[in-house]
Amino acid sequence: MKKLSSMPLWILAILLSFNAPLTAQISKAEIVATGLTCSMCSNAINKQLTAMTDVDSVGIDLNTNTFTVYLKKNNTVTPKLFKQRVEKAGFFIGSLVLTMAFDNLKVDNNVAVKKEGYVLIFVETKTKTLTGETKVKVLDKGYITLKEHKKMAKSLSKLPSYAVENEDDYHLKTL
Amino acid sequence: MKHLIGLFLVCLCLKSEAQELFVMTEPASNMPANSIGIRDMNAFMFEKNGKLNYHNMPELMWGINKNWMVHASAFISNRNTSLVTEGGALYAKYRFFSVDDLHSHFRLAAFGRYSLNNADIHQEELETMGHNTGYELGMVATQLVGKVAVSSTLSYERALNNMPNYEFPSAQSNNAFNYTLSVGKLMYPKVYTSFKQTNVNLMVELLGQRLNGNGKSYLDVVPAIQFIIHSQARIDVAYRQQLYSTMMRTAPNGFMIKLEYLFFNVVK
Repeated sequence: MKKLSSMPLWILAILLSFNAPLTAQISKAEIVATGLTCSMCSNAINKQLTAMTDVDSVGIDLNTNTFTVYLKKNNTVTPKLFKQRVEKAGFFIGSLVLTMAFDNLKVDNNVAVKKEGYVLIFVETKTKTLTGETKVKVLDKGYITLKEHKKMAKSLSKLPSYAVENEDDYHLKTL
Repeated sequence: MKHLIGLFLVCLCLKSEAQELFVMTEPASNMPANSIGIRDMNAFMFEKNGKLNYHNMPELMWGINKNWMVHASAFISNRNTSLVTEGGALYAKYRFFSVDDLHSHFRLAAFGRYSLNNADIHQEELETMGHNTGYELGMVATQLVGKVAVSSTLSYERALNNMPNYEFPSAQSNNAFNYTLSVGKLMYPKVYTSFKQTNVNLMVELLGQRLNGNGKSYLDVVPAIQFIIHSQARIDVAYRQQLYSTMMRTAPNGFMIKLEYLFFNVVK
């Protein structure tokens, strides 16, 4: 530790930068919740989301039940945390759009990208390189409405990972 | 009855934001997990001899997880002398089915209550909320169609002997089926701007009971207005009116004021 503290700052910065981008970090999540009827219900979701340690602030449109969650830097939030929180309030996610920071990530249709603790599978996409902040929609069961999931299950019937419904595999579409 | 059914059909066809936080019945939806709620029901019922009967029912509610919630209540009343605690109850509800879409949901839940009561048994009506020792087991279905909430309950209620030694009269039926139908509608606001806006809801509930032992029954209607304040507190004002009854009931009609406050995320 003594050596570490005597290291020039620029070396430390380089070392840290190798550690930081291991996960494709989420900076913002736009959640549309389903099945609510009242502002008391929206408030239940609001309180669940604001209680997350990595959440900076939550913006709410009560008329559309859209919750825009801004996350702190260097957070370790994965989509399933949002799902757990909304379901704890007694409701479900109807749509989840994530703003994620990518660092020259090459994606291909139906090809899995392994991240720390979870897997991203980009679908309905052409081969491209994702750089910087990108909006992606989560297409898995529990993140879209039941009707949309039925349609999606049909259109992705040739993709075995979609039907498996592994909670750490996320099927994403870039927007 | 025809008029009432007509009224419900009209309610069902109206498109408006609705509520399912009913005054007299619980919906199939649960309170948020990790939350604690406190509630106080005040009922001012008119006895047939002209006396005003006051019942106070404080209630503590806990959302254990997304599917389970429990209530503990106490029953305080001045029916016999001054205000005395007559008993208490434990209630649990399990939500076991949910189909949610953007502007609708259908949910099913099962519930049970066990109550203790030390008052004398003075009527044929069975009521484990404040009158009888006994239990109630039931199912509730709640549907949100567009923006209107409709909820219905079917339950079996069984009365036992009241404490300490008030035996259940053998000439009366000690078990019954209860059925309810509730409709709720949000009147204000038309457009939300913040959590601090007061919501105003109008509700109508039908409450019926049929005693299995002798076929006697009653049906009550309960119109109510509800204010939701800061998306966290509730004030309900309701009036219960008997529509018909073939059984002996001591005080079926009266006013009710129910207060509720929700503490979100207090249990880790």
